[in-house]
Amino acid sequence: MLFECHRAGRLAADYPAVRDMIAGLSDEDLVTAGQLLSRLDPADVLREHPGTPVLTVAITGHGTLSPLAGSITAELARHGLLARTCVSSTGTGSYVFDLGDPESSLYAAAPDLILCVLDPMMIFDEVPLPWRPEDVERIFTEKLAIISGLAARFEAGSGATLVLNTLPLFQRHTAQLVDHRSRIRLSAVWYEGNARLLRLAAEYPAVMTIDLAPLIAEGIPAEDPQLSQYARAHLAPQLLARYAREIGHLARSRTGQTKKVLALDLDGTLWGGVLGETSADGVEAAGTYRGEAFRAFQRVIKQLGSQGVLLAAVSKNDIEPVRAVFSNHPDMVLREEDFVRIIANWHPKHDNLIQLAKDLNVGLDSLVFVDDSAYECGLIRHELPGVAVIQVSAEPARHTTRLLRDGWFDTREITEEDHVRVARYRDELARKDFLDSFDSLDEYLSRLEIKVTVTRIHNGDAALPRISQLTLRTNQFNLTGGRLQPAELRQLLADPAASVVTIRAADRFGDNGLVGAVFIRRVDTDATIENFLLSCRVFSRGIEQACLAAILREAHDTGATRVFGSYQATAKNEKVKDFYLRNGFTQDAADGTSATFCHDLTDIPEIPPHIHLTNRLGENSP
Amino acid sequence: MNTIDDFLAILRDELGLQVSTQHAGLNLDQVADWDSVYLLSLLTILERRTGRGIPLADMLEAATLAEMYAVAVAA
Repeated sequence: MLFECHRAGRLAADYPAVRDMIAGLSDEDLVTAGQLLSRLDPADVLREHPGTPVLTVAITGHGTLSPLAGSITAELARHGLLARTCVSSTGTGSYVFDLGDPESSLYAAAPDLILCVLDPMMIFDEVPLPWRPEDVERIFTEKLAIISGLAARFEAGSGATLVLNTLPLFQRHTAQLVDHRSRIRLSAVWYEGNARLLRLAAEYPAVMTIDLAPLIAEGIPAEDPQLSQYARAHLAPQLLARYAREIGHLARSRTGQTKKVLALDLDGTLWGGVLGETSADGVEAAGTYRGEAFRAFQRVIKQLGSQGVLLAAVSKNDIEPVRAVFSNHPDMVLREEDFVRIIANWHPKHDNLIQLAKDLNVGLDSLVFVDDSAYECGLIRHELPGVAVIQVSAEPARHTTRLLRDGWFDTREITEEDHVRVARYRDELARKDFLDSFDSLDEYLSRLEIKVTVTRIHNGDAALPRISQLTLRTNQFNLTGGRLQPAELRQLLADPAASVVTIRAADRFGDNGLVGAVFIRRVDTDATIENFLLSCRVFSRGIEQACLAAILREAHDTGATRVFGSYQATAKNEKVKDFYLRNGFTQDAADGTSATFCHDLTDIPEIPPHIHLTNRLGENSP
Repeated sequence: MNTIDDFLAILRDELGLQVSTQHAGLNLDQVADWDSVYLLSLLTILERRTGRGIPLADMLEAATLAEMYAVAVAA
């Protein structure tokens, strides 16, 4: 498909369809696809499709990295993203100039991601002849000092993420030392160096280090001696392609396209056997060889669920026997309370997934679907192209690898919120049932006993990771689509004119936690709401009106005369485009995709009577 | 890959280069669309197509697309 599209010269025109065209390609074909896609001018794609999300990726490092641009382009395209790549002239040490000089062409490209690809030859190119492990240790230490310095300076300057990687150790180097003692010493100093590269990511929030060892352990060649010798391409193209896949997931989470829900088939996926053909005791989830394999898979699912991935079961079965398995089967690792939804019926699975997304108030493209049936997987791919589909095989021992090979749920960091997310969504379903017992929405809202607390936070607040996460995960109630990495958020808070207000909510069903954030800039008597975010779990209950009213009131009481608000259209925030207009603002200016609004503070809206608001805005005033 | 036209088709379809028979004998610096950065990707594709290892050192020394083809089929 893609190749025909390229031959017809329609790649730019058909770019929105590229994601589906490359979805089923083999790893090798994806590399070729990347070559073709990287020849496209991003400007041509944007001219045809101005809304395409773009990410600028700068590539620097040691050795020749030109093949990486194609793989990065392909991996970003898999997530519907358009890559603008720029590869710096990669010669010995050029990454030091690229990263160390604020005027370099690398920074001129204003990258979102900077890949500084490191390889073992940056060490071995510099060892004397003959060499000992001590020489390697000395050079590794020198390089680490340079890289740490670059990371520290980088941290202060840019909103981008700097991606480093560990250095693979090749047998052709270790085996040059013929005595085992020296060889062991070489490995030890090498892995200590790698550990320090990994620790840089803990030290500097804008730095990420990708560990290449687990990728190589999948059986991917780490180097090609010809390419290394003649072309100075020291990491094998297959390894760079695999590395690019990790970058694709990093890019996806950076642009807010986080996958949130793991929807799992049951028969043949979570347990062995077909429930409809046996009894609840007849399904295999331990005891036998295959049963133990399913049990191991369930443990992995539970592990993902514990980190905020919402689990749902979607099965063609009657609901009662399925519930019976989860409550009574002695071998189940997963129980009903691990899932936000158990859907067992005879409707087509795509209808069930549509309903699931609706109930959870998430987009269909937040879903990952796992099934062992080629038919069901094909159906979902065809009917719901935004859903990531993972087909597991008839061999349950391979389920885990298949599920985890693509880092669908990868995220920069997880927060307290992630550990309780399942409970929060389950509370939500209880709220829905409660709602069904009322005749009017007002009556429901007043009985819900909603408590809201607004607080102004300061730099160093424990809530920072969660606020950054909200900007990255929230798509619908995100007035400008703005995203902030933790480092960018810290930078913002260091600005005395800027402040961030958090919104916490709770009701009779439980604590919703930190559900929203408002970014405000105050200059003299003008306050500007730069962005307003609210979790999709809680909007349309009056919480947004209450918070806006509190902010307007506070602006008025501290001498402001005008409050501005802005809206920037994204693919998903259509439903909040009139948010300011509905709350007493007048439109100031607008073009096709953005608008600004103004409130003159003469008539400040009341806080809705069903909301119990605790206003702590004054406690941390700037 | 049996003829130089097959080779040129690979350059067009898999690397996205605008090349035809008239470019085959030209010195590489006269082939507007060619850049040495494609050589590594080309090598990978050719090795996959032919199932044989291709000597990169010889490919690097090739002065024309036709010479590259000759290296690839001689391997």
